[in-house]
Amino acid sequence: MPTCCGAIRAMIRFENVTKVYDRKARPALDSITLEIDRGEFAFLVGASGSGKSTFLRLVLKEDRATSGAVYVAGQNVANISSWRVPRLRRGIGVVFQDFRLLPQKNVFANVAFAMQVIGKSRSVIRSTVPEVLKTVGLEGKEHRMPHELSGGEQQRVAIARAVVNRPGILLADEPTGNLDPTTSMGIMGVLDKINQNGTTVVMATHDDDIVNEMRKRVVELRNGVVIRDEAKALYTSMIPVVGQSRRLKDASGLDDLVGPERVSQDGTSSGEAMQ
Amino acid sequence: MRLAFILSEIGSGLRRNLTMVISVILVTFISLTFVGAAGMLQLQINQMKGYWYDKVQVAIFLCSEGSAAAGCASGPVTEEQQKNLEALLRSPAVAQYINEFQFESKEDAYGHFKEQFSNSPIVDSVAPDQLPASFRINMKDPEKYQIISETFASQPGVESVIDQRKILEQLFSVMNGASVVAVVIAAVMIVCAILLIATTIRLSAFSRRRETGIMRLVGASKTVIQLPFILEGVIAALIGAALASGTLWAVSYFFLGDLSKQFQDTPFISPSQTLVLVPALFALGVILAGISSLLTLRRYLRV
Repeated sequence: MPTCCGAIRAMIRFENVTKVYDRKARPALDSITLEIDRGEFAFLVGASGSGKSTFLRLVLKEDRATSGAVYVAGQNVANISSWRVPRLRRGIGVVFQDFRLLPQKNVFANVAFAMQVIGKSRSVIRSTVPEVLKTVGLEGKEHRMPHELSGGEQQRVAIARAVVNRPGILLADEPTGNLDPTTSMGIMGVLDKINQNGTTVVMATHDDDIVNEMRKRVVELRNGVVIRDEAKALYTSMIPVVGQSRRLKDASGLDDLVGPERVSQDGTSSGEAMQ
Repeated sequence: MRLAFILSEIGSGLRRNLTMVISVILVTFISLTFVGAAGMLQLQINQMKGYWYDKVQVAIFLCSEGSAAAGCASGPVTEEQQKNLEALLRSPAVAQYINEFQFESKEDAYGHFKEQFSNSPIVDSVAPDQLPASFRINMKDPEKYQIISETFASQPGVESVIDQRKILEQLFSVMNGASVVAVVIAAVMIVCAILLIATTIRLSAFSRRRETGIMRLVGASKTVIQLPFILEGVIAALIGAALASGTLWAVSYFFLGDLSKQFQDTPFISPSQTLVLVPALFALGVILAGISSLLTLRRYLRV
């Protein structure tokens, strides 16, 4: 066991981590070494299939690294026995692109659910949930059902649920992927506020506007390798990365821009980009 | 709090899957009824065997007051006749065929009779005097019954020599056959029940995959996630077991009750004796629900 918490600066640490799903294909992550410090806000950018989701899954111990070590809050997740995995996950909040709210429960119940299932008392739930809803800007909407909320509001509920148990880490997997730019900025405000309160935030995203606006650390992955790790960075590096910003235009059908991008990529990731 | 939460999860699970839950209840009900029927047949066999069946093969009944048999013309057996018979049993000519023998007095006979026929009204109409005393013989080789019979049937003071096994064995083999059939049907039905419970839990896990996914993410323990599913199966199986127990009790109360009035000289098991089977049925229900849900959850509800 590593020594106590004070000594650990890195909230998430990857040491030469490789993840192979299919022996015939290239690895999803290829010997990645990376540290994300306590209280940091980091963007994880890169094309679909570049390894962002695999990174998040390894932090959650949803998957096991093929080789190398993943440390979360100083603990090697490979050494966490399966019955202790829930405790690891209580220290990590997760937000997704598709919100994943429970449609038959109202806002309050959706957030309270995360506390109920880990056995928090009714009185603690009653006092904590409104507080968290206030943090994410949903005061007075406790009794709305998910379908009565806008996308941005639904994502705020999901964020509230992710942080209601006060995790040290918040993982966000393209949280603004389904939202318009203005709403997205609102969500970023919420995430920033949570980060200000001391939570480490790792956000995987494709949204260049947001990354450029926030000016936080940017870790760029391509084909399972970290090709850039800059503080206070932009979505695209000063050294242009071919094909990155054209991806959206590619998806929207501007064929004339596709040519050079195809050349720059191997078959797999190009295929995924088309989806 | 957590208990209340788990209970409400179970409630919603049962409601969402009501038709499947009903089919699980019915299948466990039928299968456990067959298991119980086999159990009842065995209980009935034990009841009919009475005190002596497993211990001896041949009974030599002695003359008592009012015996009509030819050998009893001179009245009830005398002390002397009884001593002679005992001596004959000990004599080398006879003893070589016998493991051991016991003497059952009228009082002993009355005690055993009361026990065996405890559920029958016939007990009240019989007095110790009416039951014959007897020698009960355990044979080295039950097939040599003929020798004992020939030796003792004509002795003074002997009313009759009876090979009890001969009388009951055929009946018991029919009943044993019936219980084997019941067990086979029960086994098939239990397989059905296990598969059905597994399917039900699978459906239930699928229809609640959103909830369980979120529970996983926020770090709910395996118990909190899986227990509602396991308990759903167990509750359905318990209801099935309760129905089966009720059915068996009803059969012994109404059906065997009627039979024991028609056949007063046959001892039948009582409804309260049937209740011995109830804990076993409940345990079996819980075990089969537990096993099938554990197997299913391992595959379909990863934690």
